[in-house]
Amino acid sequence: MPKLKAAAVSFLNAWPLTAGLDASDRIELTLAEPSRCAAMLEAGEVDLALVSVAALTKGEYEIVPGLAIGADGPVQTVLLAGDQSPAIWDEVFLDTASRTSHVLAKLVLDDMGVHPEFSPLPAVEGLARATGTKGALVIGDRAFDVRKSQVLDLGREWTRMTGLPMIFALWAARPGRVSPEDVQELTRAAQHGLGIRTELAQRFAAQRGGDPERYRRYLSQRIRYGLGPHELTGLETFLARAAAKGLLPPMPLRFVDDVVRTTRTRRHVSLDTALAKGAAGERLDEVEAELLDERAPLLELGLAADARRRALHPDGVVTYIVSRNVNYTNVCTTACHFCAFYRPRGAADAYVLTRQELAGKIEETLRLGGIELLLQGGLHPDLAIEWYEDLFRWVKSNYPTINLHALSPEEIWHIARTSELPLEATIRRLVAAGLDSIPGGGAEVLDDEVRRRIAPLKCSTDEWLSVMRTAHQVGLKSTATLMFGVGEEPRHRASHLRRLRDLQDETHGFTAFICWPFQSANTRLTASDGSAHAYLRTNALARLYLDNVPHLQASWVTMGGGVAQAALHMGCDDFGQVMIEENVVSAAGTTFKMDSEEVERHIRDAGFSPSRRNMRYQRLGGAGA
Amino acid sequence: MPLSTLANRALERDGLGPIRDKVLAGARLSDAEGLQLLEAKDLAALGALANHVREARHGQLAFYNRNVHLNPTNVCVATCKFCSFARKDDQHASEGYTMSLDEAVEKVLSKRDYGITEVHIVAGLHPTLPWDYYTSLLGRIHAAWPELTIKAFTAIEYHYWAEKFGKTYEQVLSELQAAGLRTLPGGGAEIFAPRVRRKICDDKATAEQWLEIHRTAHRLGMKSNATMLYGHIERLDERIDHMRRLRELQDETGGFQVFIPLAFHPEHNMIGKAFPKPTGYDSLRTLAVARLYLDNFDHVKAYWVSLGERLAQVALGFGVDDLDGTVLEERIYHMAGSTVPQALSERSLHDLIRAAGRVPAERDSNYHVLKVHEQPLPPAPPARLPATA
Ligand code: SF4
Ligand code: SF4
Repeated sequence: MPKLKAAAVSFLNAWPLTAGLDASDRIELTLAEPSRCAAMLEAGEVDLALVSVAALTKGEYEIVPGLAIGADGPVQTVLLAGDQSPAIWDEVFLDTASRTSHVLAKLVLDDMGVHPEFSPLPAVEGLARATGTKGALVIGDRAFDVRKSQVLDLGREWTRMTGLPMIFALWAARPGRVSPEDVQELTRAAQHGLGIRTELAQRFAAQRGGDPERYRRYLSQRIRYGLGPHELTGLETFLARAAAKGLLPPMPLRFVDDVVRTTRTRRHVSLDTALAKGAAGERLDEVEAELLDERAPLLELGLAADARRRALHPDGVVTYIVSRNVNYTNVCTTACHFCAFYRPRGAADAYVLTRQELAGKIEETLRLGGIELLLQGGLHPDLAIEWYEDLFRWVKSNYPTINLHALSPEEIWHIARTSELPLEATIRRLVAAGLDSIPGGGAEVLDDEVRRRIAPLKCSTDEWLSVMRTAHQVGLKSTATLMFGVGEEPRHRASHLRRLRDLQDETHGFTAFICWPFQSANTRLTASDGSAHAYLRTNALARLYLDNVPHLQASWVTMGGGVAQAALHMGCDDFGQVMIEENVVSAAGTTFKMDSEEVERHIRDAGFSPSRRNMRYQRLGGAGA
Repeated sequence: MPLSTLANRALERDGLGPIRDKVLAGARLSDAEGLQLLEAKDLAALGALANHVREARHGQLAFYNRNVHLNPTNVCVATCKFCSFARKDDQHASEGYTMSLDEAVEKVLSKRDYGITEVHIVAGLHPTLPWDYYTSLLGRIHAAWPELTIKAFTAIEYHYWAEKFGKTYEQVLSELQAAGLRTLPGGGAEIFAPRVRRKICDDKATAEQWLEIHRTAHRLGMKSNATMLYGHIERLDERIDHMRRLRELQDETGGFQVFIPLAFHPEHNMIGKAFPKPTGYDSLRTLAVARLYLDNFDHVKAYWVSLGERLAQVALGFGVDDLDGTVLEERIYHMAGSTVPQALSERSLHDLIRAAGRVPAERDSNYHVLKVHEQPLPPAPPARLPATA
């Protein structure tokens, strides 16, 4: 198979997207000046190119989803510079290299009410002449060296103007040339490149001098590489404003089709046999799981799962926990397509909780009989392990009784990466600071084909599992989750369950499994309607397949009390949490609420006896028992 | 098709083997058996049995229709304790309203472009509106839009008018039939048991009167629906008693088309505090038992406006074969605090049905199939508002 031809700029900020392509056997990369990249793409000399967004107007290109070069605040390498305040500038020299920056510069100056002449001039010359009433645009690596008294960072200005990230460049492809597998390859390369940002910074410093730490911070805290809902809005806003001012022609966004489709032949198994095996508690294999997923009627799956639940939890007790979900920050650089929760740093409603706010929430939780704090958040680029350690110590010294159920594998992975520590050391330090157990969030679908498509910058399946493995080995318990309905196929769900079951055989660290359907309001992915039926089926299948996971939680927060009650009759033995707060899901539109009285009424009404529990699923006496 | 091994095992474990045998043999369940099913602890097994009956009757089809709701007034002299719709008068402060004839007729006619086949009209018991308000309302709608099926007024309203205007049930019904009435909705049945009726809706038509009005309508050649309001102060045996009376009348007339259990909605009304909304579990078992007990009813409907789309979808596996239509305007449940969207587009309804493994079938008011949608609808055209809007 001939390799796909790609071109990219050699700027440092592109390295994390391109470094991993050096060894690619699918994609052959050429490095070139920005304008040359655009020209090669236009001439068809390459199939795709990492180009500045303005180059999208040059043809009917398709955008590779999920990846981009952008910023949600200062970007450092797209600057207007001069000696005097921009307010008095009457001429601005535009670096000849990038149209996107020209447009951005014009939009920013226009917003400030400044309307100078614009003259094209190479950056070196422009910068030299940027004195008095003259300013100059400088982009790319040379902006690192700008020493002027007046510097306007256009990334910061854009975010200040709009509250949105600015997207500078992305992978654009000639129509029909890039396959879903190629998208996977580009995403894999990005994952690799983002993982070695420190090394890239050192390499860059060795090449051209300067402080490697400064470059590292630039790559990990300034530049964002995701193209999620906010980034897309930022991109669309930029294009719309540019079009309104006549700076760029209006342009619809098209994307490369990124759904991997396969046709396979499968060993023949009978549905009845698979159901009977499942109901009897015999171990199902992946092919059987797939078959059940595809073909078993809802109530057949439900009856089989109910038989398992009766065998595992014969006393008809349904447990629940009183706990509080707290999202310590909504800032995240990962930009998953499905996520309605995260905010770019510059957004008006971006936050990091203060100790005082957290104290208020914990005290309220304790007052309401809560015993657990479920602490999760976005992947904030500025927070390193010390921040978490301080936080945990502070929680534990002020509220020693509360169980700290915190940090999904994704976050732990991120902390290890940001702090440049090995996983085990990271987890041990967090445990020493007070971490009690970890939630199984962020698993989504543990199959990279799906994962890369919906959450390109999240850690891979293997990485997610390795965090869990290490945590279990260190002695932590955790839950496991599945978010389905993101366009995956039964084989992906089966492989998700298999990966969980394999790890559970190894560590026995999972206490419970919880699944819920993707909810779509405010996000780019569209959900399939009618998620309740699929929810009950998936849940029942999990009860059958995950023979080594003791508990299954019904997800009433996402599905509503009635569907959750039905789930109790189809495999679940736990009613989840009485929750005081939940942001990640509610940002996407779910609003079910219950207090413990309502939770117990639902459990009783469905024919079970309620009991409160702790995170280890030990039943607690007293209320409800 | 036999029942699956798993279902059989579960039913036998819970002592429901004999009931299963009767159901499979097509025999009628006794009241005691109905009650035993309502009290059964195994929801999945109950569902499997109800689903068996449902599939034997309707295969994989799930019916819906396209209708518009019209509630011409919410002013009502009755004081039903569960009602959050009625207002004492049409003064603005009390949110009472009464539409003029023009307004009401126009409201229906403005929906001409939506492919609607039925208008569903119910109202409060208005103390002063004259008889010809009602005959004109139906007459004018019917004259302007003759293909539209008019399904109008509950037995409660017919009874009230019969008393107020000194007419027999037959006169009331046949005069409206002459104006364009074609079929009756099933509202106002609540729970037939006098103990319950005395407490929750003492001043409206009794069970006997409700049934007599439907009997009369059936005799006049009109079909009707039947409802049951559950999940408040009634006992389980009173639900069975309610269904028994319906089953008996159905044996006599064959005029009921569908049974629609309605979950009590507690917000904004007088008994809400003491009686929280019935749980989804209760709704599913009630629908399933209705499918098994009401052997002479063709259809069992889940009213998604009240249950929510998710539970309504699940109900398609628990004996339900009909989801309410793509309702265009609905006030009653929304005034009771329902948070479900007002209208489901035909597309989302199809998605919901298909995702439950069923085939959507559009029906008319008399349950004739207009179109079985074996294939998904073509992709949505770009959103466009009707020119007349
Ligand atoms: S799902 Fe998590 S990692 Fe992804 S964008 Fe949202 S907060 Fe960030
Ligand atoms: S239920 Fe009907 S009769 Fe009773 S108060 Fe409400 S509108 Fe009036």
